[in-house]
Amino acid sequence: MVSIFTYRDERKLFAVIGTVIVAALIALVQLDAVKSGRPSAISVGVNSGALFLQSAVATIVGAAGGAAGAIAGAPRLAADNRRLNAENRALSAENDRLREALSVLPDALAIEQAAAREPSGIAATTIGYDPENQTRVITIDRGARAGIKLEDGVIDADGVVGRVIEAEPFSSKVLLVTDASSKVPAIVQRGRWWGIATGTSSRIQLQYVSQDAALRPGDVVVTGEGRSFHAGLVIGRISEVYHPEGALYQSALVEPAVGFGRLGRVLVVPR
Amino acid sequence: MSSWFRANPEAGAPAYAPDAPAWPLVALALAVALLVQSTLEPLFPIRGATISWVLLLVLWYAIRTGTGGGFVLGLIAGACEDALAGNTGAAWTFSTALVGAAAGRLARTWLADTKLALLPGVALATLLRYALFSAILAAEGRMLPLALAHFHAAAWQALLDGLVALALLALFPQLGRYGAPRR
Repeated sequence: MVSIFTYRDERKLFAVIGTVIVAALIALVQLDAVKSGRPSAISVGVNSGALFLQSAVATIVGAAGGAAGAIAGAPRLAADNRRLNAENRALSAENDRLREALSVLPDALAIEQAAAREPSGIAATTIGYDPENQTRVITIDRGARAGIKLEDGVIDADGVVGRVIEAEPFSSKVLLVTDASSKVPAIVQRGRWWGIATGTSSRIQLQYVSQDAALRPGDVVVTGEGRSFHAGLVIGRISEVYHPEGALYQSALVEPAVGFGRLGRVLVVPR
Repeated sequence: MSSWFRANPEAGAPAYAPDAPAWPLVALALAVALLVQSTLEPLFPIRGATISWVLLLVLWYAIRTGTGGGFVLGLIAGACEDALAGNTGAAWTFSTALVGAAAGRLARTWLADTKLALLPGVALATLLRYALFSAILAAEGRMLPLALAHFHAAAWQALLDGLVALALLALFPQLGRYGAPRR
């Protein structure tokens, strides 16, 4: 009589069963997180660990890029420096004059300007991207601990960047407006025509615009009032208009205002 | 009666013997690959595609260890990619694990025979992983909206991965030496 399992076989059997159980646990944890809209424990763990390394690499890359640019542009920088110094002196004089003018403005306007200078935005730095480049998602170095919540809008100095889709304790994931699954209510500034801005991976398509809208290349597209953004934030400019015969709607290709190739500092704007 | 797991001693020695690299080395390589892919690579895409160092590591490990080893490392590496990507559920986890397992299994047959099989082999693994990724994502209820664009990027990634695998093997031939010699 020969036994089916040797001691070694049993260990292998346990290893296989253990692997299957671990795989099933990972699946359950990940899928439960997806369904509930919360980050999973695996996601929180990996991202917390990766945060510091990603921050360090982002800093080094930024510094290296800056240094290389400085060396390459040294002669031009010297000329720019002279020109800017002259401009700076002129602007300083103008600033003094404007400060004097500001001091005599009515109180209401002064409060409004103070409110504009007191932004509720949370400044953050881009530290990571989708490792497989299949989705347009970035990681920023501020999370729920800094007050960031799901669906908060994200902008930079040029316009709309995206919206928060995952807020972990110390970092957040931002779905860029160029991602194909991103949809933002949008308005063409010139005629107040409504549409939906959807990503095309590299650019943005303005869809569902009424056929009677006279869209033109160069028109500025801004956000409409929505879940993540207040109205009026710049999305980009129309570069091409598609006006198909017999279709219910027309669409347009929009060049994003934001340079997504080199995203650095961004501002998370809580709703 | 033969065992389910153990090779039949009477059928001759296995043509392939696992030769697992040290775990700390693999863990370090995985961490570096994830860091490179999530910080530097997306800044320099080639036709929308980037080299998947994580997949290359999983394939290399699978070839050296077999089905189980490929599956386990694929599971860990994929879970890390899902965590860093943020919008993919468990799609990378299982697509990478399954491709790792398949590579481990195939390593014992035709893939081990010639280095020239490496380019189509790695390219095939990349495309298979993308197909599994799309299928799992669809099963989770989230289709890739621009399937053609994503496939275009995956096809370029397949080519890049295959070329990089060949180049690595040419530069570091010790990466290709594994297992006990055939008897």
